[in-house]
Parts: sequence; structure tokens; C-alpha cells
Amino acid sequence: MSAFQDSSQGQGMPRLALIADRYNPFYILGHWSDGRFWVVALLAPAVILLALIVLYPLFYGLSLSVHEMRLTRPDLGTGFVGPKHFVAMLSDDVFWLAVRNTFLWVGIACVLEVGLGMISALALNRALPGLKVIAVLVLLPWFLPKVVAGNMWALMLDPRLGVLNDILVHLGILAQYKAWFSDPATAFGTAVVIEAWCGFPFFTLLFMAGLKGIPNELYEAASIDGATPMQRFRFVTLPMLRNVMLVAVILRVISLVNSPDLLLILTQGGPGHSTLVLSLYAFETAYRGFDFGYGSALAVVMLGILMLFTFLYVRASSVGRQA
Amino acid sequence: MIVGSARERRLWNVATYAIAGFFGLTALGPIVWLVLTSLKTEADIVTAQGVVYWPSTLTLANYRELWDQTDFPTLFRNSLSATTLTVVICLVVGTLAAYALSREAFRGRQPLLMGLLAIRMFPAVMQIIPLFIIMKAIGLLDTKLGLALAYASFLLPMFIWLMKGFFDDLPGELEEAARIDGCSRLGAMWRIALPVARNGILATTVLIAISAWNEFLFALMLTTGADTRTWPVGLQLMIGDFQLPWGLLAAGGVISIIPVVVLFAFVQGSMVRGLTEGATKG
Amino acid sequence: MNNYPTRRGILQYGAALAALGAPGFARAQSPVRLSYWHHFASQSEQKGLRRLTEMFRARYPNISMAIETIPNAEYLTKVTASVVANSRPDTCMVAAERFADMYAMKALLDLSPEVAKWDRKADFKPSAWKGAERDGKPFGVPAYSFVNWMYYRKDFFEEAGLSGPPDTMQEFLEACIKITNPAKNRYGFGMRGGGGGHQYLMDLLIAYGSPIVVDGKAAIDRTKAIEAVRFFSDLYTKYKVVPPSAPNDSFRQIMEGFKTGQTAMIWHHTGSLAELTAALKPNQIGTTLRPKGPVLRAARVDNLYNGVSNDRNREAAWNWVSFWAEPDPSIALLEETGYFPASFKVAQDPRITGNPLYKPAIETLSFGQNAIDTPGVEAWGQNQMFPEFQKILVGSSTVEDAVDAMMRSLDKTLS
Repeated sequence: MSAFQDSSQGQGMPRLALIADRYNPFYILGHWSDGRFWVVALLAPAVILLALIVLYPLFYGLSLSVHEMRLTRPDLGTGFVGPKHFVAMLSDDVFWLAVRNTFLWVGIACVLEVGLGMISALALNRALPGLKVIAVLVLLPWFLPKVVAGNMWALMLDPRLGVLNDILVHLGILAQYKAWFSDPATAFGTAVVIEAWCGFPFFTLLFMAGLKGIPNELYEAASIDGATPMQRFRFVTLPMLRNVMLVAVILRVISLVNSPDLLLILTQGGPGHSTLVLSLYAFETAYRGFDFGYGSALAVVMLGILMLFTFLYVRASSVGRQA
Repeated sequence: MIVGSARERRLWNVATYAIAGFFGLTALGPIVWLVLTSLKTEADIVTAQGVVYWPSTLTLANYRELWDQTDFPTLFRNSLSATTLTVVICLVVGTLAAYALSREAFRGRQPLLMGLLAIRMFPAVMQIIPLFIIMKAIGLLDTKLGLALAYASFLLPMFIWLMKGFFDDLPGELEEAARIDGCSRLGAMWRIALPVARNGILATTVLIAISAWNEFLFALMLTTGADTRTWPVGLQLMIGDFQLPWGLLAAGGVISIIPVVVLFAFVQGSMVRGLTEGATKG
Repeated sequence: MNNYPTRRGILQYGAALAALGAPGFARAQSPVRLSYWHHFASQSEQKGLRRLTEMFRARYPNISMAIETIPNAEYLTKVTASVVANSRPDTCMVAAERFADMYAMKALLDLSPEVAKWDRKADFKPSAWKGAERDGKPFGVPAYSFVNWMYYRKDFFEEAGLSGPPDTMQEFLEACIKITNPAKNRYGFGMRGGGGGHQYLMDLLIAYGSPIVVDGKAAIDRTKAIEAVRFFSDLYTKYKVVPPSAPNDSFRQIMEGFKTGQTAMIWHHTGSLAELTAALKPNQIGTTLRPKGPVLRAARVDNLYNGVSNDRNREAAWNWVSFWAEPDPSIALLEETGYFPASFKVAQDPRITGNPLYKPAIETLSFGQNAIDTPGVEAWGQNQMFPEFQKILVGSSTVEDAVDAMMRSLDKTLS
């Protein structure tokens, strides 16, 4: 990359255009692309588009978090209340429980998904007959709408109708059908596993795309140097997937933190708040309790947690790169 | 990554099939159950005694009912056009931005990257109402473009980040060589970088297309009539308050993954191996 | 599904439109497009609504309905957005437990001028109006009622040698104990310990003599509330007469449990009658009053209302919301869905009094309580009170601690 920049700075304008370029309708554009505004031109559409759609909602949400807005209590008004909601959080036990649950939820789901995604991508990336078909099948969980996936799992694990319960009883693992979501000891774990089932293909797909870009010569060279398969994975595969993995993990963590869909279907945060995560708590506060001020403040906290995570994660991984 | 002696290779092949088989079963099991459920009568699903594995009567009644009860072609068409628009927006706008963010060093690059992420970080549920207000103000409520723009608001940052990751993983020497040969920057991007990043572009496109296809909350909030609604909204509405029609839900699930599977089978066919490999060698 | 209208519906509209073109109607009032939001989703509900719309269309050919179905769970989200963005529909459905919230966010208009002149006003008991009233002004017209009662398995009761359904909570508990046999996977009561179960717990508090809100202030009586909560949670923790899955059982699960013969009694409202009678034989299913608590018999009668949300088509809007209260549309809805007419005049119709299964519902109408109409209390029940109860079920809290936590959070909600 640095070499690339050196050359472009050194030359400024192309010395001569290829003959073919004269017939290229993008010739003028191409010529212009060597000018000063190249970067601006590339970025402008995305930035303008996003600014138009997103900025207002974002600031609306941020400003709500420091205002009073309880739709069902118009008597309280909608005035500026400063950090009131954030102060209230400090003494809100449910909030702290939700924070803890969010960390566990996201942490466990993400580790499971990256692990499963990596193993499946490594296996499915090999050029062996039949694997291409399996590679499509493996992605099915990601294709399924959450509402269908959630309800199907609820049916399969149902304490009355559940086929998985039936299988486990037949195998002698369970004595009788188990109500997985009624016991706090199993509700959380079961829900996380289902989330991981839905989400691991995201990593499979991205890792497979990344793996295809790794030249085989690298492995051959490592092999000649006497590297074991584990070493080849550690010193060739992982570094080559670093960027994709970094991005994929960040994106997945964000959507795990933000979307309460699956838990809404499976447990609604219960029993007794044992599966309540921040996104669900914010959703309930805003749309069931109509307290948009506090709900937005919760969302801002989520935003803060995610920013901090991303910052630390990006920094840790670039430190790793230099080493 | 598997190289070595013939015996070693054979061992690895066995392991590969075992792993692939495990994942195939894990992913497919619930889907098989979904398909079976969609072919069952209610009596075979809500059973008093034990689970009925194979339907006692195979029936297509759930699919027929789905067809009768929903304006299925309209829902599908709406979903398809909203998804296509979203993909086009992301592909054009997102690829350019990702390329710039990966290849060019400029002031404000890091803040811009983080800003893109921050947009995605603010929960969608808190954005619904202001987004609704904007869409109403600019007259895009109830339009496919409005939906596509709303989807782009959270899919575009994801697209850009993922594509930037893929561009970062590609060696920059190729474009450099092209530049030395007199290619313009646009030319280097168009003829060299994009073809080489093809697998990444395809994978990323699949991901955002699926997210757009399955999106529910924005679709519900930003459309108001039966003729502008999308398939996931229709699916959700089928699940009533005072009954959960398992068979219908399963049939709906089966139908919603069919187009996605078809799309992906195509995409997978055009994912190619070793583009960079050949290129760096030469 | 939602997508009302269906293809068949469109054909019927076509026929209605053709009728509109007939000379007799040619100089009717200028056409009005009236929007209506509702959360009817099931097939029977859709059918009922379709019949009602067709009848309305025949009466008011100049009004065409733009009907939008919204999933129940997202209903208030959508209403909220429409209020904030000032794009409310002309008319909308208002469930009693949502009235307080919708009123407070100013989603409903005062209907006093129309109601004062309405000749059917007296067809409804004052209590039927009360659920959508503020300061004596009506903000909604009763459309139908969910009358809470109990379904029981006649055959299980006979097997257990019980002569009839229980009348008091004590008898209810005894019946549960007699019927329960975990070895046969049979339990006395299908407790709704998951989503939506807060309603029954709130009923129970009232049945044990503890009010929840008085004059907009938290008014839980700790001793009585503890008694009530203990009774209810003991069913699960001590007597084990409810299925082990209870802490996550919501509507779907209790219905499936009852239909498959796992449970002998469930608490729900009249709206499930059609589904349950379809699934079970007549000698299996019975309906009865909810058991009487030590202080009173508590059973909610949830009226659902239609409200006017927007002033622009006020006259047509009134025509629509008042139409639902007329005898023929009410009976049509009852026939399709089992939803009870809110008007006691209509409830005296022989088509209703002639059906013995409906008898307890008619009786409940005379004593049932309305939903608590203080804003925020419904959400408190769902988000704060009930999780505390679930904690008792799963053993992570005691009855006393849970009740204290409930009282604290209610205080906070109403302060």
C-alpha cells in the first residue's frame, strides 16, 4: 500500500495512456480520477446518502436521552433533564443485570459463531466432491427469517410437542421432556446456542470468501519449511484472514448487541429477567413502557459500550499485527 | 491449506467429510423439520401422545392456505424490488467508498470509518420514529425507494466495512503495476481491484441481500397498505394473536428461503478460486 | 393473513362498487376514503371483519375503507410513530388495556358530541363505556368484549370423581391436586407463567382484596398481596399442580397444553371458544366462572373499542365506529370469532342466550372488572411485576421479596 502511494505521488499524472483507453467511455473520468478529488468523489455518494438518512435519527435519539419523554405522562413535559436518566441507571438493578446478560450473550454467541464458522469454512473450502452442496446447506440457517427460525426452535424444544425433547428421551439423555426456557439455568444457554446456530453461517460465508483469496503457494512453502497443519493454520491462514475476521467480528457484535428479535420470540427476557439483555430492555422501556427518554438513554449506553469495544478491539488487533 | 503426503491427505479428507457432514446435519436438521411441519396437518403437529415424525397424511393444505390468505405475488414482488434496489445502492455507492477507505490515506479516514460503524451501532428500534418522520417529510413513505434507503442506512456501513476488509487483504502491488503501465486510478480499480475482489463482493452482496430480504421492523413501519408491504411483514401477520398456525408458519418459512437458496447457488457458481494466486505469480 | 382484502374480498368489493355505480346511488354524498387500523390477524378474525366491512359498505356506499392490519405486538409502536409524526389514521381499534396509554399520548379524540346524540348509548352499561372514558368523556365506542372465564375438561373432572367445576379458589386448588398426575403427564391447571400472564396475577390480587391503583396512586396492600401471590406461586412451587414448563408458558403453550390433554383447566377469555370447541369433543370441554377469591370473584371483562384518531373525516369515522355496536354486525362478528358483543341489548339475543356454553360469560358480564385505566400500569404489570413473580417460580426470590419489589416499582411508575 505504501508503495502504491509512493508511485502515485511520484508520477502525479500518468505518463501515457494506453491506446485502449481512448475508446474507453470512462477515459475522461479515468483521467480526472488522477486529480485531487478522487478520494472525495469515491466517498461522497456514501457519505451524502448516509448523512441524509441517518444523521437526523441519530441526533434525535441522542437528544432524547437527555430529555424527558414519557408518552403516557404528558404532565411531565418534554424538557431537558441533563444526565437524569443516566444517573437513574446507576441504581437500576435491572439495568445492571441486563448489562451482565448482554456481555455474556454477545461474548458466548460470538465465540461460538467464530469457532463454528472457521471450522466449517476450512472444511468446506477444500476442493472435494460434494462439498459445494453442503456449503449451500450450511448457509440455510442464516437465510431463514428470524421469526421462522425462532418459532421453529421453540417448536422443536417445546415441552409438549418438541421433537428434540423426544429424541433426547429416546436416547436416554433426558428422563422426560424438558422445558428449556422455563428454567433460568437452561434458558440462557439454550437461547445462545440457537442464536449461534442462526449466526455462524455469516462467518462461514465470509471466511470461505477470504480463504479463496489465499494463494496455495504460501501453504506449500510453509509445508516445505516443515510446518505442521496447526502451524500452517496459525501462521498462514489466520494472518491472511485477519482483516476479514476483524471486520466480521465487529459487525456481528454490533448486531448481536442491538437486535432483541430472537429473545423476544423465545423468552421475552424471562423467566424473571434471566434472559433480559440491554436491547430488549431498551425496547420494552420505549415501546411497552413508552418511556422514550430512558429507552434512548439505554440505547446511548449500548452505543457507548460498542464504541469502546470496537476501539479496544481494533487497537489490540493492530498491536498484534506489528508484533 | 492441506498439503503433504498421500496418507496425510487421505486422513484429512476423511476429517473434512466428517466435519462437513456434522455441519450439514446441524444446519439441515431444523430445516428438514420445518419442511416436514409444513406438510403436516395440525393434528400431526399438536399431538396429545408423542411426536409424529413422518406426517400421517402428507398435505399441501398449508401452502394452499398461504396462497389463498395472502396476496403472495404482491408481497414477493415488493420484497424483491426493495431488495434489488438496496443491493444496487450498496454495490455502487459502497464499493467506491470501501475502495477509497482501503487504498487511500487521507486525513479523517479513521474517524470516518468509526463514524460508519457508529451509525450501525445505534439500535434500529430507537431510529424507527425519526426515520418515519423523515420519510414522511420527503414523501418516501410507502415506496420501494424509501425502504431501500432505510435498509441502506444500516446495510451500507456493513457493506463498506466488509468490502474494505476484502480490499485490505488483496495485495496492492497489482494496481501499482497497472499504474506503472499507465493505467488511471479509476482504470486500476475497475480492471484490477474489482475483478480480484470478486469473491468478497459476491459474499458481501449475498449477506446484505439476505438482510434486506428478511428485514421486518422498518418494512412494517414505513409501509402502510396491503399493496406496499413486504413478505416478512406478511409472514409475521399470519401468526395471529390467538393462535399459532405452525403449519402455515412452516410453509411460509420454506417459501421464503427458496429464492435465497436459488440466488446463492448462482452466486456460489461464480465464486472463483485463485484469482490472486495466478496474478501474483505472473 | 393481514392482507385483507383477500382476492375473494376484492371480487366482492368489485360487486359493491358496481352497485355504487347504479343510478340510485349516483348522487350520494361525495366519496370518502376512511382509514382503519386494527390487530385482527387470525383467519376467523379476518372473516368476521370482512363480513362487517361488507355490511358497512352496503349501508354507506360512499365510504370506502382503507384497512390496515398491524401485528398486535407492534400495534402500539406503529400508533406511537403515527402520533409523533402526526399521521394518525382516521379510526383505530383500542384494546381496553391500551386505552390509558393511547389516551395519554393523545391518539384519540373526544366523542362526546356524537355519543350524546346517539340512540344506542343506553344499550351499553356505564361500565362498558368506562374503559375508554376520561373525565366522563367517551374516547371510544365499545366494539366487543373479551370476557374472562375458565375452560375445564369435563372428562378429567369425572375421572377424578369431581361433580363439577370449582367455585372458590380453595376448591380450585383441591380440584387441581386431585387431577394432577405427573406420571400421566396430567396437571390440574395450565398456568400462564410467561408472556401475558400478568393479567391473571393482577386479577388474583384483586380477588384477595388488594387493590392495585386507587385514584392514580399505588395502593397494593402488602399482606393481602402476599397471600394472593403465595397462593398462585404455590400451585407451581409447592403443590406442583401446573406443568413444569409454566414459567415460560404463554398463550400458545397453555392452549396446546389444554388441547393435548396435559392440563384440565385454563384461564382465558371467550375469544378462544371457537378454537377449543373445534379441537375437543363436546363432552370434554366445559366453561365456567373464574374461581372466587376470599374477597371477591375477579375476572376481567376487557372491552375493545373503536376510536376516532383524526378529525379530517369525522362524520364517516363516527359512522364506522358506531356501526360495530349495532346488533347485526355484532352478531356477525360473534358468529365468526366468538367475540362477545359489548352491548347488553345484543347479549340478550336468542342466538347467544340459547347456547349453554355462553352462560358463564353472560354472568361474568354482570360483575367483571375493567382493565386498570391508569397509564403505565399495564406496562408495569408486564415488564416489572410479572418478572418478579417468575423469580418466585424459578426459586430465585421469595414471595415477600417479590411483592416488595412489585410495590417499589409500582411506586416508581406512578410517581
